[in-house]
Amino acid sequence: MQTRRSVLKLATAGVAASPLLSVPSLVRAQEKPIRIGVLYDLSGPFAAAGSLPCAIGAQIAIDLANEHGGVLGKYKVEPVKADSQSKADVAINEAERLIDQENVDIILGIYSSAHAVPLAAKLEARKKILWITTAIASSVFKGKDLHYVFRAQIHSDQYGEAGASFLAEHAKAKLGVDPKDLKVAVIYEDGPYGTGVAEADVAQCKARGIDQIVLREGYSASTPDLSSLVTKLRRARADVILHTGYNPDITLFLRQSREAGLRFKMLIGNGAGYSQIDKLRDTFGADIDNFCNVDPVPAQLLDPKSLAPAMGDLIKIMVDRYKAQTGAKEVPPHTSMGFNQTWLLLEKVLPIAISKYGGTDPEAVRKAALDVDIAPGGTIQGYGVKFFPPGTPMSGQNERSTPVVMQYVKDGTKVVWPTPIRTADPVLPLPASSPYAVT
Amino acid sequence: MDIYLVEALLNGLLLGGVLALLALGLNLIFGVIDVVWIAYAELVMCGMYVVYWLLALAALIAILSVAVLGLLVHQLIIAPILGSPAINQLLATGGLLFFLQSFATLLFGTDFRNIGLRLPILEFADMNVSFARLIAFGVAVLGAGALYGFLSKSFLGTAIRAIGQDREIVGLMGVDQRRIYLVTSAIGGALAGLAACLLVLQYDVHPFIGLSFGPITFMICVLGGLGNMLGGFVAAFIMSEIISVGGFYFSQEIGEVLAFVVFIALIFVRPQGIFGRS
Repeated sequence: MQTRRSVLKLATAGVAASPLLSVPSLVRAQEKPIRIGVLYDLSGPFAAAGSLPCAIGAQIAIDLANEHGGVLGKYKVEPVKADSQSKADVAINEAERLIDQENVDIILGIYSSAHAVPLAAKLEARKKILWITTAIASSVFKGKDLHYVFRAQIHSDQYGEAGASFLAEHAKAKLGVDPKDLKVAVIYEDGPYGTGVAEADVAQCKARGIDQIVLREGYSASTPDLSSLVTKLRRARADVILHTGYNPDITLFLRQSREAGLRFKMLIGNGAGYSQIDKLRDTFGADIDNFCNVDPVPAQLLDPKSLAPAMGDLIKIMVDRYKAQTGAKEVPPHTSMGFNQTWLLLEKVLPIAISKYGGTDPEAVRKAALDVDIAPGGTIQGYGVKFFPPGTPMSGQNERSTPVVMQYVKDGTKVVWPTPIRTADPVLPLPASSPYAVT
Repeated sequence: MDIYLVEALLNGLLLGGVLALLALGLNLIFGVIDVVWIAYAELVMCGMYVVYWLLALAALIAILSVAVLGLLVHQLIIAPILGSPAINQLLATGGLLFFLQSFATLLFGTDFRNIGLRLPILEFADMNVSFARLIAFGVAVLGAGALYGFLSKSFLGTAIRAIGQDREIVGLMGVDQRRIYLVTSAIGGALAGLAACLLVLQYDVHPFIGLSFGPITFMICVLGGLGNMLGGFVAAFIMSEIISVGGFYFSQEIGEVLAFVVFIALIFVRPQGIFGRS
């Protein structure tokens, strides 16, 4: 039987222990793994257009963290995977399931901009973290003043900037025409991703004196026919085509272009389907040699010496594991995107959230993300990380992300822009050996 | 005349050939069995995988295997619900659509595949015409002619047409309905297999290729008059020309919007379709 004295002792002990009880999230973190929702398109057309390599890259980063004991060496990461099936409504339902039934505070992933736009609004309203690894539409952030959505990845305005700068730099020297005389066609899938990049393509071309946009046209990514678009391109006689698409619309376009005898001096793709080089080579072989592509750089193309220490080792692990898992010969940029953004969250943001802000709840993660300050060269994709703070037009977007222009050559992929870090001199125009070359 | 407009018209004609071929089988099945196979384009997808994996004897095996698939679909899914309300039948074939997509994803993954066969390109009058599309067009016309001949000249074809006209009374005339349904399902499947052989020359194979063709094929069948093969054939060319020429004058998206506007307008005027019986 408890005496009054023993009850008082227990009460006193309880009061003495209360400071420890006042940091419940830290105690819970030690007891339980950190559960993170991982949402990608594992089926449907987006899966093979880059979402699957993203998911694999993200998983490699999670595995790597857990092999070292987890976040801060002690908090294991437990991914709760979900498949958005290349459908925006499924993505929203799965995000709700992850939050309401799986009780996750952080959702990581998102391949398609068409999914990212509604998801960003939803998670912002629910005050949960959306950590976008891949979707690039600027419209996800522009003017929204988001507090709980973050993206270290580049955004669509930067695609236009890279492509237009590359053309302006080489128009006269390589193509023999002044930028003002260069005829450019902008074609794109008509979702937020394609529309956003196309707007940037046109605006950035005009800003650099490339005024002759001879055709600007969108199409549905699931269209069964692009022949009328190809006919109009033939009539417009564009020197350069800037194309933003997924797959299979890209393969349909290239096949129908070849059959219709469409000729151009250069084609510049804008990521997504154009970054799945293995798939394009399977379909078109050498026909796609010397095509260009704008995207964040696949980490393995960078010189590790230009990056922070240990980045080279991370890249090697990512590349080796991806090839072992998939049997792929080339590692697409999407693998680097999935890996890099996940690594950033686990190795740079969550440690600050736990040690400085007391846990991994959305408020702590949000504050920690805003604290992150990584200089250029500090990630495997070369760019630094500093998120625009609330109250700025692109709040939540990384202000230090940068894309590159790559060119597909016979034995792989070369970086051809920005000029200071390029690994090869660009081939412009397409050589006569190309079935698309102007003869 | 603008040579590029001629090219757009030609493109529309060739696209119409592909769509007409798809509409033939779907219309035949609806006309006879009175069930909409909403998963018809997914049968085409299965056929495309058969061609991809068995290139040597591909065409024959693809046609036969999708014919068998058509039989299986009828026996396992359609036959048990023949007397059920139309919405149940629609849901069942809709379920089949998702099953086939998921099953193909499980078997073949989400990758895009192509057979890598390149047919020559015909060049004339500053225009280039895809040989693959020309073949598809020719086969669609021949296929429609052969089907018409079979339905109008053979006893089996007459029985099929008779069921299409009055399924209740035809049993009293000594026609075995179950057998006719099976034959019709097999022919519908074989037509899907034939379409697969031609589409695989022009498109990548992936589990979701049906999404590109399913909705427009269904729309064409409704526009022509569900179950009316001549109507479906004509409607395929109407839709493809609107898409192609509309795309040429305006934009690809507007071309497709125009096709839908024309579809809605015509359905308002003739709810039974252009050639359908009221």
